[in-house]
Amino acid sequence: MTSPPKAEGGGTPVVGGEREPGKGPEGGQVEGRSPGRLMWIRFKRDRVGVVSAFVVGFFFLIGLLAPLISKVYGKDPFTVYADERPELFDSAGVPVQPNGGISGEFWFGLEPGNGYDVFTKLIYGIRTSLMISLTVTVAVVLTGIVLGVTAGYLGGKADFAIGRLIDFLLAIPAQLFFIASMPVVVSLFVSPRDETPTYVRVVALIAVQWLLGWMSLGRILRGATLSLREREFIEAARVSGATSERIIRKEILPNVVTPLLVQSTYLLPNFVTAEAALSFLGVGIVEPTPDWGQMFAKASTELVLQNDITYMFFPGVSMIIFVIAFNLLGDSVRDAFDPKSAR
Amino acid sequence: MEEEAVDVSKGVDVSKGEAAKGEATLPGPREAGAGAAESPGEPLLVVEKLVKHFPVKGGFPIRRTVGAVQAVDGIDLTVHVGESFGLVGESGCGKSTTGRLITRLLEPTSGSISYRGRDIAHASRKQLAPIRSEIQMIFQDPYSSLNPRQTVGKIISGPMEINGIDPTGGREKRVRELLEIVGLNPEHYNRFPHEFSGGQRQRIGVARALALEPKLIVADEPVSALDVSIQAQVVNLLQQVQKDLGIAFLFIAHDLAIVRHFSQRVAVMYLGKIIEVGDRDSIYKRPRHPYTHALLSAVPEVTLDGGAEETGRERIRLAGDVPSPISPPSGCRFRTRCWKSQDKCATEEPPLVRLSGNRPHHLTACHFPEAPTTEAREEDIVLDPALTALEEGEG
Repeated sequence: MTSPPKAEGGGTPVVGGEREPGKGPEGGQVEGRSPGRLMWIRFKRDRVGVVSAFVVGFFFLIGLLAPLISKVYGKDPFTVYADERPELFDSAGVPVQPNGGISGEFWFGLEPGNGYDVFTKLIYGIRTSLMISLTVTVAVVLTGIVLGVTAGYLGGKADFAIGRLIDFLLAIPAQLFFIASMPVVVSLFVSPRDETPTYVRVVALIAVQWLLGWMSLGRILRGATLSLREREFIEAARVSGATSERIIRKEILPNVVTPLLVQSTYLLPNFVTAEAALSFLGVGIVEPTPDWGQMFAKASTELVLQNDITYMFFPGVSMIIFVIAFNLLGDSVRDAFDPKSAR
Repeated sequence: MEEEAVDVSKGVDVSKGEAAKGEATLPGPREAGAGAAESPGEPLLVVEKLVKHFPVKGGFPIRRTVGAVQAVDGIDLTVHVGESFGLVGESGCGKSTTGRLITRLLEPTSGSISYRGRDIAHASRKQLAPIRSEIQMIFQDPYSSLNPRQTVGKIISGPMEINGIDPTGGREKRVRELLEIVGLNPEHYNRFPHEFSGGQRQRIGVARALALEPKLIVADEPVSALDVSIQAQVVNLLQQVQKDLGIAFLFIAHDLAIVRHFSQRVAVMYLGKIIEVGDRDSIYKRPRHPYTHALLSAVPEVTLDGGAEETGRERIRLAGDVPSPISPPSGCRFRTRCWKSQDKCATEEPPLVRLSGNRPHHLTACHFPEAPTTEAREEDIVLDPALTALEEGEG
């Protein structure tokens, strides 16, 4: 073709000197550091973020390994110990030993009444809650991407329609809607006279949270797409004849990963607490299926509350730790992606 | 409106008629090599009566179109094979819109854009596919024209991927070649845009435009976002590319000095219209339109102890801003700021024609053209009252 234009010394002053990116200390081919890599490097330097990530990871691990843990531990959350080991309970069904029956055998004690093992109940409860919340988050992220990016990229009528839908859904009071609609949604699947299978409750919980959960993410992605659409690299792709599908996939989506990841890390703990609230109110997961929120409901019943605070303590403390760690993780992820926003 | 269209087309006829005669004398010593490979003078891109109106929506409760921003309002231009055509004008005069219409990022309201005889004004994406690789674009802002999530290699090979081009030796080899052509290190293949300076980024943009071996590059203010020291390097790079590869350029800029350096032919735009077009020397040394005079006179010149008197140039300072393109002035659009404006200017739009005394090819749209010189006048034309007051205060 041609020789590089050296006549005017083009490039060399810019490329040369300390800014020379092509030559690492060991010479040879040097990989560029992608924005993702840079984010990871910054994140690793953030001690709070790393600790939070470990805590969050720990909770997910517990949820994942719950059956294994309970096997090693030798108990499960469905055994009614009031029948199996009546010597541990008094006549009212309250554990005889202090602090809710904590002992070497039952680490977190026993529940009054049926006498379920609190420790296995908690780890299985975490498993249920996280599974539901994670599914809701994935569904919300997918919906947010599809509707938000569509609205932002297409603009015009599609944007108007999706924008009004978002406005409409945002006008619905979420918590009330959850409580009111859960029994309705469940009854769509099962007649009220039959026993409701657990999976129906799970599906219903996921469905109502998803329905009212995607709007904030959708709006953020719409805004991000809207600002990207005007960028010149999108025009460059279009000048080369790229299809809309390619532009969205290759040019827009990689650039909305940042808000997406940050928002998802904020969304998930919200879904965990929302799901816990629903189960607490009795419209979510019910006994005997263990659930984080439902443990609070149990702990606040008269029989249990009178006897010991420990029943509230374990699920409460674990949930607080989880939510705080997750929110701190969200902050760290945001700071790592956008170092200018750091305090 | 009817008359306006006729006038404009008259201008085209003149330009076409003279195209054959005048072109041969055009290339100066600097661009002797340009377009040598292909026969120069053959029109590559012919734009006729191109119009782009952006609708202005308003009204309540029912939104409707209440007007139009007449960004580009009937322009004609021809870019020949291997030639560099400069388009200059103030901000907001429709230069960039013209560039985006030609690359079909925007769809024209009316008019025709024919590339090698094929009208692409309203072609769909599929119909445009074969032409896409021949018309490429270089963008203004090197910080927004590269996808921050893609490596340099991906960015430059993207157009090849989209058009399914597999050069011999593979795309990666070709990208490394291109990096070398634009004066970057081929080792930069796996780097990301944020690791480069503005000038280097613009070079990457140039490499991307070259990836498809285009015949025409629309450069939309390719250097105005760069440092002055880098501007020269990038312009020289573009010139080198143009010379070596015989690529025609539509060079959009507001910097007259750079256009003078880069382009063989220059068109001056004002408020969506071309008001003067001609080869470089005619426009810069023998301008006829008052606006061209004003524009040239506004170019700052570095002299040791300043002052227009010493440079021997005329001094014209306009007042006010460009009128709104939503309701442009009737007749000649420049009349509201022109010192020679008369009644005729308001009623009759001046056609873009060759004036007597102009070189062939040099077309001007003015009823009362200026003398073809940029020499200092007996009296400076200072229309800006603030500037007058300031100077009086000093004196």
